[in-house]
Amino acid sequence: MAVKTAIKVTNLTHTVTANTGDLTILNGINMDIKEGESVAIVGASGSGKSTLLGLLAGLDVNTSGEITLYEQAFSSLDEEQRALMRGQYVGFIFQSFHLLPSLQAIENVMLPVELKGDKNARKKAALLLEKVGLSHRLTHYPNQLSGGEQQRVAIARAFASSPKILFADEPTGNLDEGNGKIIIEQLFELNASQGTTLVMVTHDNELAKKCDRQLVMSAGQLVEKY
Amino acid sequence: MNFSFQLILRDIRSGDIITLIVALIISVSTVTSIGLFIDRLQLSFEQESASLMAADRLIRSDDNIPSAWQVKASELSLQQAENTSFSTMIFAGDALQLSQLSAVSDSYPLKGAYLVDDNLFGTGQSFTHPPQKGQVWLSSRLASLLNVSIGDQVEVGEFKLTVAKYLVRDPGSSSSAFAISPRAVMNMADLASTQVIIPGSRVRYALLLAGNRADLENYEAWVTPLLNEGQRWRTPTQKGERIGDTIGKAESFLLLAGTLAVILSGIAMALASVRFVKRHLMQVAVLKTLGATPKLLIKVFLIQFTMLFFIGVAIGLAVGWGVQALISSLLSGLMATSLPEPSISRLWLGVATGFISMAAFCLPLMQRLIQISPMSVLQPSLKFEQNTTVIYSIGFIGMYGLMCIYTKGFLLPSIMTLALVGIGLVVAVLGFTVFRLGRSLTSGSTSGWQIGFASLYRRLIPNLFQLLVFTLIIMLGLILVGVKSSLVADWQQQLPKDAPNHYLFNVQVDQIDHINKVTDQLGVVRSDWYPMVRGRVISVNGESIQALYPEDKGEPEIYERELNLTWSDTLGKGNKLVSGDLAADGLSIELRVAQEANLSIGDKLTLNIGGNIITLPITSIRAVDWGSMQPNFYLILPKEILQDYPANFVSSLFISDNNAQPFYKVMSQFPTVSILNIGDLLKQIQTIIGQLSQAIQLVLLCILSAGGLVLLSSVRSTLEERLEEGALLRVLGARKALVQQALFVEFGALGLFSGLIAAAGAEASLYGLQVLVFQSQASWHSLLWGLGPLIGVCIITAIGLFASRIVLKVPPMHLLRDF
Repeated sequence: MAVKTAIKVTNLTHTVTANTGDLTILNGINMDIKEGESVAIVGASGSGKSTLLGLLAGLDVNTSGEITLYEQAFSSLDEEQRALMRGQYVGFIFQSFHLLPSLQAIENVMLPVELKGDKNARKKAALLLEKVGLSHRLTHYPNQLSGGEQQRVAIARAFASSPKILFADEPTGNLDEGNGKIIIEQLFELNASQGTTLVMVTHDNELAKKCDRQLVMSAGQLVEKY
Repeated sequence: MNFSFQLILRDIRSGDIITLIVALIISVSTVTSIGLFIDRLQLSFEQESASLMAADRLIRSDDNIPSAWQVKASELSLQQAENTSFSTMIFAGDALQLSQLSAVSDSYPLKGAYLVDDNLFGTGQSFTHPPQKGQVWLSSRLASLLNVSIGDQVEVGEFKLTVAKYLVRDPGSSSSAFAISPRAVMNMADLASTQVIIPGSRVRYALLLAGNRADLENYEAWVTPLLNEGQRWRTPTQKGERIGDTIGKAESFLLLAGTLAVILSGIAMALASVRFVKRHLMQVAVLKTLGATPKLLIKVFLIQFTMLFFIGVAIGLAVGWGVQALISSLLSGLMATSLPEPSISRLWLGVATGFISMAAFCLPLMQRLIQISPMSVLQPSLKFEQNTTVIYSIGFIGMYGLMCIYTKGFLLPSIMTLALVGIGLVVAVLGFTVFRLGRSLTSGSTSGWQIGFASLYRRLIPNLFQLLVFTLIIMLGLILVGVKSSLVADWQQQLPKDAPNHYLFNVQVDQIDHINKVTDQLGVVRSDWYPMVRGRVISVNGESIQALYPEDKGEPEIYERELNLTWSDTLGKGNKLVSGDLAADGLSIELRVAQEANLSIGDKLTLNIGGNIITLPITSIRAVDWGSMQPNFYLILPKEILQDYPANFVSSLFISDNNAQPFYKVMSQFPTVSILNIGDLLKQIQTIIGQLSQAIQLVLLCILSAGGLVLLSSVRSTLEERLEEGALLRVLGARKALVQQALFVEFGALGLFSGLIAAAGAEASLYGLQVLVFQSQASWHSLLWGLGPLIGVCIITAIGLFASRIVLKVPPMHLLRDF
């Protein structure tokens, strides 16, 4: 059976208006990401990696070209529909974790499940936190957790809605080496067990090498694919 | 449970929403408590004043009051009483005396009480019923003149009445304080038997009413169109009445206080809502990345704000009710009478405040939150692109609307708005200049001064905003202090403790020295003696009054009756020359009667004085303070014209309670002299003024406390950034003292400048308020210039340092982790 295309990008260009005039952030990008594949986007700071990640996840609207998620083009959707798409297909892990400070660890993980209307949110969340080794921290608030623990909660949250595609923006960027390793292990373990497509922006070569493919960005363009 | 509700409950638990609820509670409770308290005071003023008028409302008429009007009053369940008063001769044996007689129904007075005594010239006891059928009460003066005492009989027309009491004061007599004839009162049931009222008699009829406000308002709406020119609808607090003006000013003060409360509540809501947005922007962006749709977010926020509205308004109303009850109970110890209960219907003001606050601040804020791009999670620089100008503008318009609803007018809100805009501009320009100057003067060396001014300049916009908020709060407080001080001073000046409480009339020129002697012996303070000659205006600029007002209806007071004329070379106490020259060879007229009769300088009045016809031009106009209790006159003529007429003299005196008995005793040597005792009336007015002064001080305290709370929340709103900076400084090795000094410089500078600008703003606003709203003379308030900067520096520095103390105590790592 042929492997499905999870993400398809055609002639993607993104321009923003700055004080000095229009600024092209991404220029003529084309790529396909297959279902279950893990892809690392690497490149220097300011090369457009995070912008590309955001556009792939439907967080913003590109200036021209086309992005499709499971054959659904973002350009044909409004913000309401894009949000629904994100809820249905997408999970996120951020460099600065972005846990909601007012919610306990378990409540943060429950959020995407509840957004889908799943009644078993608490059970699922507890299970996932157990998988990332935080069953003893369920009711702690983010500011009571270390950076590594916060990112593990974020991983649990990202997988809680059983996303088809997981976007990760520098997931180990704010962590020390030891915690970084634990995070990477857990991330790839969950990714493998759930068959998720993984798209990750990283500066970490070791982490990038663990992915099936690496895409190198430079000045808004994809310069290498291997 | 529904996801939206779960999210809301978690948000409430987090405390972020608590700030908004607290701001809403402050808004609603401040406006509610002030509104309810004002309502209670107004009701109380009305009741107090009603006792001076013997009723809540009164219809005065030159003709018999139509019976249909009484039927209508009965339909509305209003209490009624009647008073018919006229001048008549009273006979006792061979003695006779022209008297001012009132015939009153059994229910008179509806409010207040008679003061009567069983002893001649006694000081009197309260009595809430009129004389019984067959009885008459005579003033001590009248009884002396007729040489009768209690138990004797007097004749009124064809009917004999028994003297039952000596009348000291009639509750409805305040407006006729200058009636010269001695007074007597009898029961209405005997009036017909006297047969003294015949067609053509000059009689004043009054229908007195009392009842609840709504019924009285219904009755007023019904009867007003039916009134003819000879009939007047009177309320106790009517402008122009002596006490009406005082109460009017107090009401303006309270209204001002309430308006300032609205502005304070607006500031509180603005601060809280911006803090809410700031803390929620990233959360909303994260929720969006997790798949929360705009529709869901709108639903969440709408439910959240609705819950917030109900909780905030309910608690706000309860707190507001409690605070006004507390103020009233504090006041009850100081007031002679207890305050009436407030009307529940006034609570709508609190609800409206809550609703407009929510609509003006929270809805634009919700829109702002929903518009946040989820991309800002990846690119935090997008996070703070919020346009607070729009939020504040909508909030500002909302508050202006609320002030207009509150004051039922545009003048006060417009003055306040202009002042706010002016202050905003001054703060922006001055703040920018000073912060910049401070920054450049202190650059180079690492000190608390340098760090303090550097952070003032670096966070220029938030600091300017905070400077504005501090300035506004201090300014509002100073305005209230300023208005309060001048109002209270004004009132105390208006009615000093030794204000004249007795008038002497009908004094002949040869009695003056003798009376001076006996009053001097008693140590009584007396005004000058003014000659009085009776005269009547018969034509204006050659046209006769009869031709101008053929039906004898609706004519100005100056043409209506015989006047007391006087001569004087100098302006009397409480008189102010408005235009013209007092020394010129013509008439000096009082401003209010001149306005009523549409007279100005140069108009010629013809007077009939003792049968002689004299025509004189008006050469000056005087404003007279009728509250000064000094003898005052509508018309003053040149001495050379009046001096040849037989005149009697008038003077006013202050008789202390201790002096009353000896005074009356010595005055019994002069049986022809009339004494008018207005002491009780004055005491009542002084009581009301005392109550007003206490009341506005408590309201002031209440507003200042609310101001303090808002000040605290304003400091809190920028605390996080300051704490973060302080923590960083400590990580870099700064000593506690340096961080403390930097914070001291920052808050001290903000406090000092806000205090100075606030003093200037308050002075300007007070000028506008005194001239336009209180219609009093503008004055300079040097106190404010000291108080403003002092409050600014002390309070803001204290609050700032207290709120920031955590940065000096907690290990910096803890603080940094929270950011």
